[in-house]
Amino acid sequence: MNQTFSFRRWQMLVGSHWTEHRKRYLLALLAVAGMQAGWYSFLLLIDHFGPINLFIQYATYYCGLFLVGCFYASTIFSELGSKSRAIQYLSVPASHLEKLLCGILFGVVLFFIAFTIVFYIVDIPMVSLANRVIANEHQHWPNTFLPIGSVGVLNFWDTQWAPIMDRKYHVFLFGYFAIQSAFLLGSIYFTRWSFIKTVVSMLVFWVIFILYAQKGIAEHLPNGWHPQDLMRWTNNTDNRMPASMVTLPDTMERILTFLMQYSIPPMFWIITYFRLKEKEV
Amino acid sequence: MVSIQDLSFSYKRKSVFKGLDLKLQAGSIYGLLGRNGTGKSTLLRNIAGFLFPQSGRIDALGFDPRRRQPAFLQQVFLLPEEFYLPPISIARWVGHAARFYSLFNMDQFYKYTTGFDIPMQGNMQEMSYGQQKKLLISFALAVNSPVLLMDEPTNGLDILSKSQFRKIIAGAVDEKKCILISTHQVKDLENLIDRILVIEEGRILFDQGMDSIAQRLSFMLSFDQEETARAFYSESSLKGNALVLPNTDGEDSRPDLEMLYKAIILAGEKINRHFKSNS
Repeated sequence: MNQTFSFRRWQMLVGSHWTEHRKRYLLALLAVAGMQAGWYSFLLLIDHFGPINLFIQYATYYCGLFLVGCFYASTIFSELGSKSRAIQYLSVPASHLEKLLCGILFGVVLFFIAFTIVFYIVDIPMVSLANRVIANEHQHWPNTFLPIGSVGVLNFWDTQWAPIMDRKYHVFLFGYFAIQSAFLLGSIYFTRWSFIKTVVSMLVFWVIFILYAQKGIAEHLPNGWHPQDLMRWTNNTDNRMPASMVTLPDTMERILTFLMQYSIPPMFWIITYFRLKEKEV
Repeated sequence: MVSIQDLSFSYKRKSVFKGLDLKLQAGSIYGLLGRNGTGKSTLLRNIAGFLFPQSGRIDALGFDPRRRQPAFLQQVFLLPEEFYLPPISIARWVGHAARFYSLFNMDQFYKYTTGFDIPMQGNMQEMSYGQQKKLLISFALAVNSPVLLMDEPTNGLDILSKSQFRKIIAGAVDEKKCILISTHQVKDLENLIDRILVIEEGRILFDQGMDSIAQRLSFMLSFDQEETARAFYSESSLKGNALVLPNTDGEDSRPDLEMLYKAIILAGEKINRHFKSNS
């Protein structure tokens, strides 16, 4: 018997997890759909000109994904917060890797797919309704002859409607997976109030990171040089215009960007794995 | 089956075990007794791999428990005092949970649940604590794990269920299995265990088989002052002094577990010397 990973055992674990939690998951998805429908209905009531435009859809999708996804991830190992549930969970004859992969399957993969499907199940008919409202009530912007175009359905991969910072690197999408993986770790690290404690810990780390990136690195730079972002440093002249700039080589920038996009979630998953292995109850 | 050598374990500031040694053999039902807070549950959780020793070694069926490998978890089953059952039906739960245990016997499970008179309909969380406990005991026994650890299994059981529990456990053990029952309800283990372990001050204070106890100790009621003076432990009652004293008759006595336990706690060293001198 393979003691590290067996696909059959993992399948059984997934089946068992689904059997125990499906009611809660399905109700949670219904609640998410209800909240989105409620939010869109509110927008339809207060704005008859462009109620559910692409920016609103974009913001709704990502705000929902971050809030619900991170909250859900913080509950993935919630069993370990209670002695009785932790013993039941840890005594299931499956390896720690299988238990982690089951958590990742539900918390990361299936949640993302289910959330996106639910988003579109609500989004498509609501956008269609919004277009009917526009067509029936106001064909033009107020006091102009400019026609109000119909609103399209968001493509969450298309960053045209995203804030500037997201356009190049899909910061929000990759950032979501990175932050969510931190909440997954938080769910095993903190036995109680894991969501709140993870938020506080991340804020602390963020402040330390910003301080280091802005002040810590500046200490090591020659006089007159300042960090512009993580990969660029400028030398300001008296009129505050950058006189010269040093950047990382393009290849190195691409490698660093790739690492920031793709390495953070696996790194947190690996830490989660070791925390799970070392968990005592 | 289970070998513990020089085990030391402590919670943050409280030391629980210091150099504890213990061996558990197949074919026996062990009763683990001890005062509150002496580490009975901690010992079970160390053997089951839910707590890790600070030093020393635990070997359970050739496995290191702290690695919690699937094959180990299949063969060492812990029935905890505090447990959780998901809010689903028994049939659905057992259908999924049983698949992880290669030796699980569904017929046995239904036989035990019938014996315990557990209602099989409805959601498990709607059952009473006692019914949930009986359900979990039925499951634990049907797993057929070579090592079964039970922490206060009779807590929450009514009188009829306790006697049913003794009957079922007695029928469940065979020469390939070892059952370790931790309890402070000594009476519940009477006529059930064949070896008694008493844990005190972080070590095993007493470890003897019931046969040996019956041969070497005598349990009686007496008004005789001489016998009372000879006793390891005495307790006055209206019927006379209840005594635990050396067995000099040459005939096996019928051990009173509660008296034995009190005698060990209060005169453990003397009793151990008595057993050593007669071995």
